[in-house]
Amino acid sequence: MSDGMNRRRFLKILGVTGGGAAAVSACGIGPEPTEKLIPYLVQSDDQVPGIATWYASTCRECPAGCGILVKTREGRAIKIEGNPESPVNRGRLCARGQAALQGLYNPDRVTEPLARNAQGTLEKISWDDAMTRLSGKVRAAGKGLVFLTGAESSSFGDLVDEWTRSLGGRHVVYEPFGYEALREGNRVAFGTDEVPWYDFAGATYIMSFGADFLDTWVSPVGFQQGFAQAHGFDAGRATPMAKMVYVGPRMNVTGMNADEWIAAAPGTEGLLALAMAQVIVDKKLARVPGDVARVRELIEANAPDKVAALIGVTPAAITRYATEFAAGKAPLAVAGGMAAQYPNGAEIVAAVNLLNYVAGAVGNTVKFGADLASGAKYGDVAALKEDMTAGKVAVLLVHGANPAYSLGGGFVQAWTKVGYKVAFTTMLDETASAADLVLPDLHPIEQWNDSRPRAGVYALQQPAMQPVFPDTRAAGDVLLAAAGKPGTFKDYLQARWKELARREARAKSFDDFWNGALQHGGIFGEAPSRAVKLGSDAITLTPQRLRAPAFDGAATNLVCVVYPHGALSDGRGADKPWLQELPDPLSKITWHGWVEVHPDNAETWGLAAGDILQLESPFGTVRAPAWITRTIRPDVLAVPTGQGHLAYGRYARNRSFNAFDLLSGSAGTHGGRSFAVRVAVKRTGEHRFLATTEGTAREHGEEIVKTLGFTEAVALKPGAHPFESPETPDYAEGALEGWAAAQHEMASLGNYAGTHPRWAMAIDLSKCTGCSACVTACYAENNIATVGEDLVLRRREMSWMRIERYFRGGEKGEPVQAVITPMLCQQCGNAPCEPVCPVFAAYHTADGLNGQVYNRCVGTRYCANNCPYKVRYFNWFNFAEEGGDYEAWPAPLDWLLNPDVTVREKGVMEKCTFCVQRIRGAQNTARLEDRAVKDGEIVPACAQGCPSEAIIFGDLNDPASRVHALSENPRGYHVLTGLNTKPAITYLARVVHAGEA
Amino acid sequence: MSTQGGRLAVGTVLALFLSVPAAAQTGQPAASPAVPVVTDTAALPGPRQPIFFRHDVHAGKDKIPCLYCHYTVTVSSEPGIPSLETCMGCHRLISGSTPSHQAEIKKVRDAWANRTPPQWVRVHALPGFVHFPHMRHIKVLGTTACATCHGDIASVPQVSQVATLRMGWCITCHVQRKVSRDCTLCHY
Repeated sequence: MSDGMNRRRFLKILGVTGGGAAAVSACGIGPEPTEKLIPYLVQSDDQVPGIATWYASTCRECPAGCGILVKTREGRAIKIEGNPESPVNRGRLCARGQAALQGLYNPDRVTEPLARNAQGTLEKISWDDAMTRLSGKVRAAGKGLVFLTGAESSSFGDLVDEWTRSLGGRHVVYEPFGYEALREGNRVAFGTDEVPWYDFAGATYIMSFGADFLDTWVSPVGFQQGFAQAHGFDAGRATPMAKMVYVGPRMNVTGMNADEWIAAAPGTEGLLALAMAQVIVDKKLARVPGDVARVRELIEANAPDKVAALIGVTPAAITRYATEFAAGKAPLAVAGGMAAQYPNGAEIVAAVNLLNYVAGAVGNTVKFGADLASGAKYGDVAALKEDMTAGKVAVLLVHGANPAYSLGGGFVQAWTKVGYKVAFTTMLDETASAADLVLPDLHPIEQWNDSRPRAGVYALQQPAMQPVFPDTRAAGDVLLAAAGKPGTFKDYLQARWKELARREARAKSFDDFWNGALQHGGIFGEAPSRAVKLGSDAITLTPQRLRAPAFDGAATNLVCVVYPHGALSDGRGADKPWLQELPDPLSKITWHGWVEVHPDNAETWGLAAGDILQLESPFGTVRAPAWITRTIRPDVLAVPTGQGHLAYGRYARNRSFNAFDLLSGSAGTHGGRSFAVRVAVKRTGEHRFLATTEGTAREHGEEIVKTLGFTEAVALKPGAHPFESPETPDYAEGALEGWAAAQHEMASLGNYAGTHPRWAMAIDLSKCTGCSACVTACYAENNIATVGEDLVLRRREMSWMRIERYFRGGEKGEPVQAVITPMLCQQCGNAPCEPVCPVFAAYHTADGLNGQVYNRCVGTRYCANNCPYKVRYFNWFNFAEEGGDYEAWPAPLDWLLNPDVTVREKGVMEKCTFCVQRIRGAQNTARLEDRAVKDGEIVPACAQGCPSEAIIFGDLNDPASRVHALSENPRGYHVLTGLNTKPAITYLARVVHAGEA
Repeated sequence: MSTQGGRLAVGTVLALFLSVPAAAQTGQPAASPAVPVVTDTAALPGPRQPIFFRHDVHAGKDKIPCLYCHYTVTVSSEPGIPSLETCMGCHRLISGSTPSHQAEIKKVRDAWANRTPPQWVRVHALPGFVHFPHMRHIKVLGTTACATCHGDIASVPQVSQVATLRMGWCITCHVQRKVSRDCTLCHY
């Protein structure tokens, strides 16, 4: 290499002699086709070409009400990040919130008003026509007018309320995964139907009964932040790392992060809570409030030895959990999610409330007083369905809900009996496709509104851009116009905020108040809190009602639980390709649904992964491919919701099955719906390959993820290196000497001399929950193509950042454990990808990145073959090709592309470069201000989005940087360190509280 | 309050200054314009633009600084194409002294009246995989350094590309000035 001809020279000669000159223009090196430069007529004050403008707003993808900042470039929203000022999510955002952009730019949005014609199909009409039809119908409807919306704790919700009432109708709220049982359980225990606020951050011991609070329950981003502070190993709080125990028949994201998973039989979670309460009362482990005597009988009836067998644990274990729970200063038990969706969900919640009460958690980690209680219940929806069937509903208006998808056949039949159906919607979902009049609504990113997620928080939602489709109108504007009221919805909103300004009396003028709220994203105050005592209904709890309930369905031994998919949720995420392609944190399956089957059942039934099972409940049948896993009890099956749409755009339609089909449409005793049902199982003999991104379920002895026991971790002294291993194995010494010489020669080229930063990352696995918000953040920031189900099946997904999940244990009675690690380019100091690139497209930058020059890459793929971490991704197709087979951004989805990042072409290798565009951007800013880049100024997209703040980025060469300090943390290790790759990413080992601690 | 209002006002002041003939102050006949009369526009290098905007008149004779119109060049990667409102800041008052000038200025006024901005033909284009931060270069080279890459714009009636804008041309300068030529400086 050193003499005669080196690679570079060889290629130069090849280029000249081999007709390389002719290829020059074909490679895109020549001038671009003629472009037009179209100036503004009047340039907006807040738009500078080339510089992003941020608008504070509120996320509407779920009812949690997280504050967001929408990044716009040249008038187009291109990324959504959390608003650091919002107390709900403190600057972080989940995958669903970030994917709101794909709802905004969805190529299948409704762009103009549609009405059903004589042939029964929807055809385009004018807005004038639409308004005439709407006003005529609603005026004539009187008592027969019903407005069905999603959860709307907002001014728009209030407008719908007023508007519907003034016309003589009623407003019904439908949220498929509501909190009826949680509210009812709180009412039974404490006489209040509020949802309390949980102090995860301050908790010393966390026990979750069914609640997937890290992924789908109430306010996942905020809870995850709190959990990371409590459960992170050295998260900067005085009390040591809390232990977390998850109770439920199947493992979910919360279960994956638990130190222990108790696979309780479905419906027996409440018994466990009461048995623990019995131990605490009996052994006087806590200062038990005096009024507990009123429920003494109930507690005594559920002593551990009486209920342990029903739950599926030993009495000794229950005593141990109770002792551990009561030992800390701030224990916290939460009940919800799956546990609140059984027929006895309310009783389970009430029992967990009693556990909190006896242990002194109520008023400490569980605080009432901040919830804006809503009386909305699923029972109202069930009643509406009966009214519809009885022909009592003349006009039904639907906004922000898709009952035709999630309420199944019964609702669809009732729907046909309604005189006139109107849908306010951005997408033609199942409900809108069956409506008589479809009014195209603005997307939340385009319209005004507000949100009140809890008392003290008034979050404002403002348009971050002009409507993508000019013929769409805000539902609020349409309602006001239909009622003949003057002004727009913005005027209505401002009128309400004027009242708020008077009450709050913070600013001098309303303009100051309003502009301040717009700039900060709202008005954020403390959460009020008040004390609660045992309610009078607590004595109505009986041991019988806490026993596992009689689930609907034939007398089989199999209960099927239907749970919300983390990304697709109740189905509303299914139209967004980022969410479809986001691997489920547990199963790693993309683009389709599955049924979780325990290996014992798989053996009995002779099943292989991907074999399609038919599940039959009394209410419906679904056909689902089996995912065989030890993360579920043998007597339980589980299916996620979200897929199986018959409409809702190209990304959602005709995928897999709709899990809601298995469920009864009627409401249970607590006013909510039951999400567990007995099923009969039939093998169909059919098979499909699972579109999974999982390489292997186990680590095969490699220990990609290092774990430490809590006591081991505590014992580590600064400077200790328990994971140190020889960087260079003996057999590689010889090879390395020659390589070092070549490296030295190359370092003399370019400007590698002198001091440079070395960009590096530290990822704390004691905080990472595997929620995958970082993955979507990476897709959004770096213009990563979604490849679709077919290419995922061929393992050609482009996810620069992936969450690897491995299972441990689970055999011979050992507890099953899941470990997770984000895997992205390690920016190796001694990178295997670089020396094999024949064209220097993969090369080492002066600041320590493994650079990838897309315009140089010729697509040999040698680098990917040589990468031990498998973090390089090849463009097998032109994903940006208009009308191409694998087009990833059909218009107007391409509007969300980040103009700071090249859109890669076919035949090019691509990879993570620690968001080099953000590094260069920060360097540019610092240079303009004549200063050095500060630590923490550069935040890659993944680190920015991470709800648990597990990712820290900075300069390893700066001894004062946080990443430098973390790289010397005793828990630090590198993945595959024996390969001598010298990665820039330091992982901090996960810490686990031992079962017998 | 708004910068656009500000720009309009400044433009009007500038226009007043430019539109008062020198004769009004000196009593002498107005000096003939320092810029040539272009009769054969087809012979000019560079693409023909929808409006015959003459940099030699604006930047040359009238000495309007480049940054008056391309004002984001010091802060952004994009120098910015002036909005039509910026043009109108002066051309509300200035109608042109020759019939050909008047015809071109009328195009500007019509565009403003019809709310249809002109579609300029891009002269200096880089491929999508190159990121060129204008502000870094202006920061180092100064606000009059535009000519380094764009040529003596102040003396040409029509803009044409004078530098190759090829990578070798970029690198030559980076080598001479001893600044980084790391690939990911521009390619990402």
